[in-house]
Amino acid sequence: MAPVLPLALPPRPRVRLAQGLWLLSWALALAGGLTLLCSGHLLVQLSRLRTFLAPSCPFAALPQVALAAGAAALGTGLAGAGASRASLDAAQYPPWRRVLGPLLVAGTAGGGGLLVLSLGLAAALPGSLDSGLEEGLGAAMAHYKDTEVPGHCHAKRLLDELQLRHHCCGCRGFKDWFGVQWVSSRYLDPNDQDVVDRIQSNVEGLYLIDGVPFSCCNPHSPRPCLQDQLSDPHAHPLFDPRQPNLNLWPQGCHGVLLGHLQGLASTLGSMLAVTFLLQTVVLLGLRYLQTALEGLGGVIDGEGDAQGYLLPGGLRHRLKMAWLQGGAARRPAPGEAPPEEAPPTEDPPEA
Amino acid sequence: MALLKVRFDQKRRVKLAQGLWLLNWLSVLAGTAVFGLGLFLKVELRRRSDVMDNAESHLVPNALIGAGALSCALHALAGRICYDALDPARFARWRPWLRPYLAACALGHAGLLLAALCCLLLRGSLEATLARGLRQGLRFYRDTDTPGRCFMKKTIDLLQIEFRCCGNNGFRDWFEIQWISNRYLDFSSKEVKDRIKSNVDGRYLVDGVPFSCCNPNSPRPCIQYQLTNNSAHYSYDHQTEELNLWLQGCRAALLSYYSSLMNSMGALTLLVWLSDVTATTGLRYLHTALESVSNPEDPECESEGWLLEKSVPETWKAFLESLKRLGKSNQVEAEGADAGPAPEAG
Repeated sequence: MAPVLPLALPPRPRVRLAQGLWLLSWALALAGGLTLLCSGHLLVQLSRLRTFLAPSCPFAALPQVALAAGAAALGTGLAGAGASRASLDAAQYPPWRRVLGPLLVAGTAGGGGLLVLSLGLAAALPGSLDSGLEEGLGAAMAHYKDTEVPGHCHAKRLLDELQLRHHCCGCRGFKDWFGVQWVSSRYLDPNDQDVVDRIQSNVEGLYLIDGVPFSCCNPHSPRPCLQDQLSDPHAHPLFDPRQPNLNLWPQGCHGVLLGHLQGLASTLGSMLAVTFLLQTVVLLGLRYLQTALEGLGGVIDGEGDAQGYLLPGGLRHRLKMAWLQGGAARRPAPGEAPPEEAPPTEDPPEA
Repeated sequence: MALLKVRFDQKRRVKLAQGLWLLNWLSVLAGTAVFGLGLFLKVELRRRSDVMDNAESHLVPNALIGAGALSCALHALAGRICYDALDPARFARWRPWLRPYLAACALGHAGLLLAALCCLLLRGSLEATLARGLRQGLRFYRDTDTPGRCFMKKTIDLLQIEFRCCGNNGFRDWFEIQWISNRYLDFSSKEVKDRIKSNVDGRYLVDGVPFSCCNPNSPRPCIQYQLTNNSAHYSYDHQTEELNLWLQGCRAALLSYYSSLMNSMGALTLLVWLSDVTATTGLRYLHTALESVSNPEDPECESEGWLLEKSVPETWKAFLESLKRLGKSNQVEAEGADAGPAPEAG
């Protein structure tokens, strides 16, 4: 039976193949390194935004799998460069001969599997960011006032720093702050009539105000920041509530963070796609080189024409034999039944 | 008697040349790094020139840029010379230029050392410039509709947020200036009218600060107005409250930032200077070792290298003699020129 996808490789094309493989392997190593850096960066960004992402959001799995895939691609690239360099030199090839087989299997199964998995995650996971961010930001805003509750005491500082750094206010807009009690009851005067009225008029007993924290203020505004009584057009002179844009940051933190993280994920996805293509080409080339050199008996300087192939001939036949033998062992055999199939024909030498 | 004589055989000369070639190219990289550091410092000073009254001195970054570029060029040439030193034919064309070149190297290293010392010592002028610039900046905070000053509010706000500071020396600086523009004051309100009347210059001064002074680490929402009035806020004591606003003044914050920047740059430049001096000393030894090869036909022979041919006082005397001779030779020529036309006239 003929080998799968054979390719004749006379000496000159063999050398060209090895040289081209060396270049592509270094390109693969570079792509793997860049993927490592990209996924590391995404991991660092996610760890900083951990408070604002719901714990149930699976997005954090993407940079971790991409990190492993990048490391595997880097290793494959370096090994491929070493192997293709050695295949040009008769003295260096014998130690690589033994390693090349397991290396190809590991590269295809391990590296290829990780890359396919991370590509799938890069396509599917960013969709879960929307609800994850909404839940996380809503929880952080609800805990803004809990600066003395263990476990939530950093929510105020982190949310203020987020709004200051990313130039955003609230989840979808500054009005989100009107629906949350962000002033702790510890700092509310129980004797103040206004405070008592507000709390009593609210169904859940929350102290809600039409004001925002200082971190929502926009430094580009020409007037000093107006933070409270934002819905009352008469509270501040010369203030037009229909145009609050310059006073506070107009965009919500949800949109800003979503765009930021999705951008990082799409960059990572394109890096992974490039790495996947390079790895496929490098592994295919290494397989052809390996089988061609084995055809010559592992002698590099041989002038003979060799044939490279992907899978040896007769593989289907041998797989069928193995399957039948396994089936015969499972069936309770009454006696020694002679094998029904003829013994396998001569196969071409295989590594 | 030569200064610091060392014997060299062929192998040692070759090793010296190779080591020097590597050291010189590393020095080129180091010179590029110093150049880059100077550029970075210049950009940083430019970025904050608004709060430095546009009068900050660019001496330090300019010195670093110049010294770095010079060091780069000198060491690239030295690397080339060391590469050619192993081949007598190629080295012959460099021979006449080596003495002036080494003198130029010495001057270049002096310049680099000066630049490093500038980095470490010239901080006082920056403090004065910052104090003046910030005072002006705080005064122009409210002039957001005056051309030429309309950006000052944004600059001061972003500065206070980024450097975690408030005011010039502290947040009380904001109590002494009117930072709320008259455009946003309701002159029909009694409170506003009282405040303006009670002030000699007719300014509206409040015991409040802009929002950019707020400290996110505070457990309570930021208190910006009526800071000295304890009864205006529930459970508030202005004398013990430390987390509400940033306590550091922006002058101290900016000064410490630039100080640490210049300190690290100065230390790095000193290290670069040390490696440069080592490279030039090695080149001097190589030069004298190759010069003192007694038999040019036999490249394997031993030779001696030294720093100075005679001891330091003798070299200094010889240098002064050559200067005097230079002056005298001009005089002789002048007298000769006078004596020439004089007999002709006479």
